[in-house]
Amino acid sequence: MSATTAPRIEAESNDLLGWLTTTDHKRIGILYLTTSLAYFAVAGLLAIAIRTQLARPDNAVVTPEQYAQLFTLHGTAMIFLVVAPFALGLANFLIPLQIGAADMAFPRLNATSYWMFLFGGLTVFAGAATNEGAAGNGWTSYAPLSEIAISTGLGQDLWIVGIFLVSVATILTAINFVTTAFIYRAPGMTMWRIPIFTWEMIATSLLIFMAFPSLAADLELLFVDRNLGGHAFDPAYGGNALLWQHLFWFFGHPEVYVMILPYFGVVSEIIPVFSRKPIFGYTGLVLAAFAIAGLSMGVWAHHMFTSGAVDDPFFSAVSFLIAVPTGVKFFNWIATMWRGRIVLATPMLFCIGFLINFLLGGVTGVMIASPPIDFQAHQSYFIVAHMHYVLGGGSLFAIFAALFFWWPKMFGVKLDETLGKVCFWLLFVGFNVTFFPMHLSGLYGMARRVYTYPANGPLPELNMIATIGSYVMLLGVLVFVWDVIVSTRRHEPVPDDPWGGYSLEWATSSPPPEHNFDSLPPIHSERPVFDARHPELTPP
Amino acid sequence: MSVGVRLFLSSALFSIVIAVAYWYLSHEPTGTFLLGVMAFGLSFASGYMILAERDANLVGDKRDADPDAETGVLVGTYSLHSPLPLWSALSITCVLVGLVISPALSALGLVGGLVLGVFFILQSR
Amino acid sequence: MTSDWVLFIACGAGVALLVWGLILFAVFRWRVRSSDDGGLPPQFSSNNVLEISWTLIPLALVIALFVFTYRVEARVEAVTPRPAVSVDVTGFRWGWTFAYAGGPTITGTALAPPQLVLPAGETTRISITSSDVNHAFWVPAFLFKRDAIPGLVTTFDLRPVETGTFQGHCAEFCGLQHALMGFTVRVVSPADYTAWLHGGHT
Repeated sequence: MSATTAPRIEAESNDLLGWLTTTDHKRIGILYLTTSLAYFAVAGLLAIAIRTQLARPDNAVVTPEQYAQLFTLHGTAMIFLVVAPFALGLANFLIPLQIGAADMAFPRLNATSYWMFLFGGLTVFAGAATNEGAAGNGWTSYAPLSEIAISTGLGQDLWIVGIFLVSVATILTAINFVTTAFIYRAPGMTMWRIPIFTWEMIATSLLIFMAFPSLAADLELLFVDRNLGGHAFDPAYGGNALLWQHLFWFFGHPEVYVMILPYFGVVSEIIPVFSRKPIFGYTGLVLAAFAIAGLSMGVWAHHMFTSGAVDDPFFSAVSFLIAVPTGVKFFNWIATMWRGRIVLATPMLFCIGFLINFLLGGVTGVMIASPPIDFQAHQSYFIVAHMHYVLGGGSLFAIFAALFFWWPKMFGVKLDETLGKVCFWLLFVGFNVTFFPMHLSGLYGMARRVYTYPANGPLPELNMIATIGSYVMLLGVLVFVWDVIVSTRRHEPVPDDPWGGYSLEWATSSPPPEHNFDSLPPIHSERPVFDARHPELTPP
Repeated sequence: MSVGVRLFLSSALFSIVIAVAYWYLSHEPTGTFLLGVMAFGLSFASGYMILAERDANLVGDKRDADPDAETGVLVGTYSLHSPLPLWSALSITCVLVGLVISPALSALGLVGGLVLGVFFILQSR
Repeated sequence: MTSDWVLFIACGAGVALLVWGLILFAVFRWRVRSSDDGGLPPQFSSNNVLEISWTLIPLALVIALFVFTYRVEARVEAVTPRPAVSVDVTGFRWGWTFAYAGGPTITGTALAPPQLVLPAGETTRISITSSDVNHAFWVPAFLFKRDAIPGLVTTFDLRPVETGTFQGHCAEFCGLQHALMGFTVRVVSPADYTAWLHGGHT
């Protein structure tokens, strides 16, 4: 592997204009990550405001109007501008490296997606600067509440346009991912040797293709209703209020799998490295990913069980079935750790936290797949607890695992381990203290999206505990920011492979050169870098 | 048939089954329509891929792919910069936000898009 | 419905404790100590019997849970042909109207929440809709809620067994006073119900 033929490339420039015109997947990935983390900071502060308001009943930290905007922007940002784009950004950086390619299939389209994502998010938040404020109907923006007769402000229209931009950007990115993974693999990198993360991104991309058009249609209908005299959701004119929900959740449920499958991929990359074993059940993990993706297209109306107008048993049955491939993944991860040698570095701690938290979210998910249970839990804080355990305890923890694991590769800087561990424990404790009590407050009768609640029973205490937990989480995030500052100042050089990694991104420098690879190791398994390190174990 | 094509084909078959099952069990038109669109889209993509695969050149899967070939051998000049992405994103944003804020903004976006289109055609020559 | 909750909490807790146990056991048992020499453990990565088992056993479990759920839901959603009482419930921004068939119409908002009076041990048919946006009729003590959707009327039966007064809330975000759109349900003996119906409706 002595290729020294320099590819004919134009040099990459390091100034602002260079970053504004970049089509390099690594830079685009970093732009996505930085932007999504900025939106995370904003959405997180919105959550702190929400928790501060809810610390006591009849609190007056914010008005009801402000509160509606707080939870709308918090949910919208976390879902559309943080969790999903972070995964897309990470995949942008990693996929070409993991398959031994020089860039994505469509570099300019890739960059266009990023800018549309940035502008879409800004458009949503721009609503806050209008007369009536930002959209205030929840991230689900149900009609008829979001129709022009009731939601008269421009904020709702800006929300529609902003989310539409983000949706188109997401679809274009998915096209790039699938094409790149199918076409640009290095010699020897068969589909059954690509890393699990790349497989999960292919499944995620399929979900994006199938789900986002439904959202786009819903948004277009609402826009026409609001601005061009349409009545799609207005029963007085023959429209149907449930239509919004069907179209929304046909997108919305696959969307939550778009927000978790990449992170299943993240933990599937990190756990084996820090257990010093190969990933257990590679084939099972791949099949499970597609089983989850496929089944997730058939469960949308489990968000509508309480309408009394959908075929509950169908959706309940398919929702229960999704638990099976998810369980398969869990057992694969545990089997990877089993009889391994487990290094409790920060990325691994976050993965273990992911497993512990996501398990509880998965269990409550199976519970609410049962309509009679959902009749009580729906739109209560039990649901808020469930969704945050899977998205916060799950995806967010995997986000931090990914940051600590791939930061050296991206920036050539290793994040401080001690601060990393402090960050983990603050987040783990803070997260569970915030969200576990919500199972109980939900069952006790606290509804969702309320700016205050009656001082019945344990509700005041449960809410106060949750608020305290949220401040602990804030502290954890601040420790992370401090870690970044400290580590960047210290700037110890980072080798190609600081962790003992397995996949091809660890076969090049940290950070990689513009064209990614000067040479590639031979590819005979899903762990080419491990094989190169241990030739005595590689099959002939 | 390569792995990717088999993936799309099995997804298409699965979606046909689920669309039919959903209609049979619920007779609910909206969901059936959405599942039907999904089935159609995946079937179309699968059919196209099966036909296109005959001429495809998926390097990693070829038995005779040369793992010792030089890395980074690229065809043509490889550029890491282009002004088109930021420009097109700005144009589209102006058009859409203009629908909410002011038609003048949409017009600006359309003009920007036209200029971009001309530039794109010239650059691709 | 309580049986549904009990079963699912029990199964959920069982699965959670088992899997948490496996995770924590693996982490503690095989974590690297300071005496670590950087060596490799056995590099196994598949086991067909194990993988098939941990697919089929959970599949059997969820099928059983579904069958149980199906039966419970059928009971919950069953409607009798001849209910003792019929009430039309309408949600609006921001309160409720309870219109009894052959009886009073009770309306209330946050300032004076309306009260739904029901006879214990008898079946009340509720027909629910909304006059503006989506709302939801939720009585936590009954472990039940149903959406109030404009343009759609759905029905369900309530058959309360205990007397008492129970809180109700709107459970679908409907605008600024969603949090205050409460109501109460007072379940009384059939005799007291008849007295209320023909008396002063207080």
